[in-house]
Amino acid sequence: MDTGGTFTDCVWIENGEPRVLKVLSTPHDAGSAIRAALEEIGPAGGAEIRHGTTVGTNALLERTGARVAYVTTAGFEDTIAIGRQARPHLYRWRNTPAPPLAPPALRFGIDERTLPDASILRPVTAASLAALFQAVRAQNPEAVAVSLLFSFANPRNERAVVRALEELGVPVSASHQILPEFREYERGATVLINAYLAPKMGSYLNRLQNTLTQRYPGARLHVMQSSGGIVSAPQAAREPVRTILSGPAGGVVGAFRVAALAGFDRILSFDMGGTSTDVALVANDPGGASGLRTTNESQVMGLPVGVPMLDIHTVGAGGGSLASFDRGGALRVGPASAGADPGPACYGRGELPTVTDANLVLGRLDPAGFLGGGLRLDVERARRALAAGKGKLKSVELFADGIVRLAEATMEKALRMISVERGFDPREFTLVSFGGAGPLHACALAQGLEIPRVLVPRLPGALSALGILMSDIVKDYSRTVMLRLDPGTPRQIATQFRALAAPFAALETRGRQEMKAEGLRPLAQRSLDLRYAGQGFELNLEWNGGADILERFHRLHRQRYGYADPSRALEIVNARVRMLAPSEPLQFNRERLGRGSGAQALERRRPVIFDGRARPTPFYRRERLRAGDRFAGPAIVTEYSATTVVPPGWHARLDAGLNLILERR
Amino acid sequence: MPSRTPAAAPDPIELAIFKNAFHAIAEEMGATLRRSAYSPNIKERRDYSSALFDGSGQVIAMGDDMPVHLGSMPMSVQAALKALPLEPGDIAILNDPYDGGTHLPDITLVVPVFPGKQSGQPAFYVANRAHHADVGGTFPGSMGLCREIYQEGIRIPPLKIVRRGEMDRALLALILNNVRTPREREGDLTAQIGACRIGAQRLREMVAKYGQPRVERNMQAMLDHSERLMRAELRQMPAGAFAAEDFLDDDGLAETPVKLRVEIRLDPKRARAVVDFTGSDPQVIGSINAVFAITYSATFYVFRCLLPEEAAPTAGLMRPVSMIIPPGTVVNASAPAAVAGGNVECSQRIVDVLLRAFAQALPDRIPAASSGTMNNLTIGGLDPRSGLPYAYYETCGGGMGAIAGAHGLSGVHTHMSNTLNTPVEALEYAYPFRVRRYAYRRGSGGAGQFRGGDGLIREIELLAPSQVTVLSERRRFAPYGLAGGENGARGRTLLRQTTSQGESERELPGKCNLFVDAGAVLRLESPGGGGWGAAGNGSSS
Repeated sequence: MDTGGTFTDCVWIENGEPRVLKVLSTPHDAGSAIRAALEEIGPAGGAEIRHGTTVGTNALLERTGARVAYVTTAGFEDTIAIGRQARPHLYRWRNTPAPPLAPPALRFGIDERTLPDASILRPVTAASLAALFQAVRAQNPEAVAVSLLFSFANPRNERAVVRALEELGVPVSASHQILPEFREYERGATVLINAYLAPKMGSYLNRLQNTLTQRYPGARLHVMQSSGGIVSAPQAAREPVRTILSGPAGGVVGAFRVAALAGFDRILSFDMGGTSTDVALVANDPGGASGLRTTNESQVMGLPVGVPMLDIHTVGAGGGSLASFDRGGALRVGPASAGADPGPACYGRGELPTVTDANLVLGRLDPAGFLGGGLRLDVERARRALAAGKGKLKSVELFADGIVRLAEATMEKALRMISVERGFDPREFTLVSFGGAGPLHACALAQGLEIPRVLVPRLPGALSALGILMSDIVKDYSRTVMLRLDPGTPRQIATQFRALAAPFAALETRGRQEMKAEGLRPLAQRSLDLRYAGQGFELNLEWNGGADILERFHRLHRQRYGYADPSRALEIVNARVRMLAPSEPLQFNRERLGRGSGAQALERRRPVIFDGRARPTPFYRRERLRAGDRFAGPAIVTEYSATTVVPPGWHARLDAGLNLILERR
Repeated sequence: MPSRTPAAAPDPIELAIFKNAFHAIAEEMGATLRRSAYSPNIKERRDYSSALFDGSGQVIAMGDDMPVHLGSMPMSVQAALKALPLEPGDIAILNDPYDGGTHLPDITLVVPVFPGKQSGQPAFYVANRAHHADVGGTFPGSMGLCREIYQEGIRIPPLKIVRRGEMDRALLALILNNVRTPREREGDLTAQIGACRIGAQRLREMVAKYGQPRVERNMQAMLDHSERLMRAELRQMPAGAFAAEDFLDDDGLAETPVKLRVEIRLDPKRARAVVDFTGSDPQVIGSINAVFAITYSATFYVFRCLLPEEAAPTAGLMRPVSMIIPPGTVVNASAPAAVAGGNVECSQRIVDVLLRAFAQALPDRIPAASSGTMNNLTIGGLDPRSGLPYAYYETCGGGMGAIAGAHGLSGVHTHMSNTLNTPVEALEYAYPFRVRRYAYRRGSGGAGQFRGGDGLIREIELLAPSQVTVLSERRRFAPYGLAGGENGARGRTLLRQTTSQGESERELPGKCNLFVDAGAVLRLESPGGGGWGAAGNGSSS
């Protein structure tokens, strides 16, 4: 069940076939759409329901989270607001900053101090705890976030503060539990976001779980995390900061799993919607759990989020992005968007040209077949919008072509950033394209980056929901250890590694306990964040206790940053444990491959403009294509919620899983 | 620069595509440097810049980095070009303010890019600049109160640090022998080299994809596009001459204020502007002199801010702007004047005086003065935990000036600086310090219809005997308000020490060097921004 802005997508497996139901979302209470969908699907009792939620994302976007008290070491109450002292725009003198999640009256300090070496300089006293309790209570917060300096090194003071404030009876988020890692602002902001979302998420998930249990006794609710792993609803309610990218993470997992079933295990996922585009890279390299790459340096709404999230890069270019010229005569596409209202000109209300209008004018969209014919596209209106905005360009078609190329350049830049810039060669990848607008542009992007293959999965409009269904249950744990690792013989290295035994044991004990409480028997995956001593950023590498990690580190460092220096000492910054309970693998039916040409799915031929020239182009209906069908571009494949462009020089085929595979010949 | 009419835009779509691609390369260079560098000043605070240049050394794209570096980097490329025959695989290094640099801690690397056959003239250049926490000289951190450049650190003319792909170990050894933290410097220089190589590689990939003529054509198109944007802006400005003065507190040695004067002459009919610094004081003994490159950068920055957000800061922006900067003045110092503070302090005052002049022409578009100082704090000594020398350098943000329609931001770096702070927890791992307080300095922003932003307070306890250098401004002359808004509060620095006589606290001069014992506490209070409009005039809280 993936809640989206317009639709809630439901995917379930029936007789080995993925089935889809789209119901209208119910923004005031996302749960009612889910209940309605379940009524229609009619699952048996004891069902396991997996959920991609936007409750957290929306509360953060719309700033409708809780009234949070933020508690830190006295003298540092403003740190959460100062952040990294950066101004939002380099060349702008007029700024209107977003209001802080915790305004000054809700920021509290307590006299205490822990030091970098984990010793406690000043313990908290009963008197200071009592005074803090009174001051916080007087402000009537709905949630509390606690993040003391160096609490990751020694949480004793922080624990005492948490114990005292739990008496308030509101959710308390503690930094040594949510993110025991150094850098006080990034840690504090993550904990603050968690507290900000906790009441809303808690009551939403509780309500949903209760109604589900009443209607379907024994039903269990799980929630998708931004890391690409599933977690139980009570866990998600305690740590909602881990669910901010719930839906998009489902899309990446779906893309990866579907591609893997089709035989491709290195993918770039490309999810293009109305206002933005999400891209991610997944490679089954040694290093990350099941190939999904997470980052601990995400930014959401300008705030740092330090818990692991899939490394999804978002750019403000989508089907609804507006096109215009600046005063110097250069074209711009996005980030301004026509959104859902008024939407692209061709939807009938907008006046300004968008990427969708450009695609329509180039003939790439079927005006009558959009959303299964549910929305008729107005070609003339799109042409008028383009004609009005085309500036000095000679023709509407030239302008349309320019809009599409520029939008594609923006998306290509995003794909370059997650591949080439991180040392990956796109020529070794498959581009998995989904979302309503993705498959329109996938081949052009693949061509620009020399990606040899594009895969458009079945159900490209519901891939997030499918991905959520295919995800493993995952919980991530970490702790800053800050240990120096000098070069030496394997034995000397092994001696130095001994200091890691205790922190890892502690992390794993906690993980096993939490997973066991849910009846799970997880695997533990250990990894280390390493850097050269003195650097400020780390590389994460899987670790099985061996000294080979050093060589892998040097290799990865050279790949990423252009140099390596094995004579330098290293620093082990964080110890990480991922507890993972694999989901039962889904088995889909596979069709027998035929040798068809797709003729049975051919609907009509219409002129489509490629490289400035109109060419007669066949339009195929995706639902009627069969496994093994092959045909050459130029061609257009239409289906309920997406349109795929097969440009000249590309070939299309349907594989046994009915994925549409496009390759350049 | 001669005035000329730019050619019509060749292809607005290509222009946009290439603009994005060039900018992405500069940003990637910065990210690479940040992630693989060693000193907190580079890795945590991002005190660096990256840029791309065409074959004649004109800047085409810059990362969103440090404005004070941006206008002045082309001069590094020009200096390297003039001094050295650059061949494939070479990398030039320099920091001499009188030959392509700005102040000695800023070390610049320049890389020629040969996309096709590996000979002839370079087709493009990439460069990056990073502020190194120590380059030798009299004071740890190399930002002290010197009287001539020879005291400020090692002075590197344009030289090849990498020849045909091979590091010049002799030159590197010479540099490292003259600095206090050689291992860190070596690491940072290696990271700079890695970042430059990535930038050069990306440009070569672009040429492989589009062909060299097309890349070159679009570089020229970007320069022309910037020029068109600037001329369109100048055409809408009022005609006239607008003059202003502002003052630096002193040069740290004498107590005399140092005057900066500018007259901006706007000619909307011809879409031109002249910026004339005649009347500014002669260069001074202390190290607050700015070299030409700094004054050019500050002017570049102010004109860039008058354009829309997405305008690319290329060399073309400045084609319609001519500058008159008399040599031997504090805004165009000649050798061997000391210049460490020109980059960080005088540069901010140049912006202040330019804005004050522009405010007469464009009252609703110009903000009141921002904090006007980078509050440079440099501390060095032996770290008792390792027994090794350390050099710490950090600047501190302040209040931003208010503008018609918006309050100033609090606790940010403004104008010519854009560095981040060092996290307290990173700081205490790296140096023998204990941070006692980090907070907004409430009430320091100037009152007004729109309030100036507040400054910051940072209190650091030194856990070992240390040598401290403070280089700061706006201790005497407060950041000005505009349109009836009040001035921002002046900054101050306090030193608290406990001796056998008990605890004592005193205010330090704005610019000073001193030795302190373990246990001393430094408290820096940075200035607030000026207010805009008379308070009570619909003032909001």
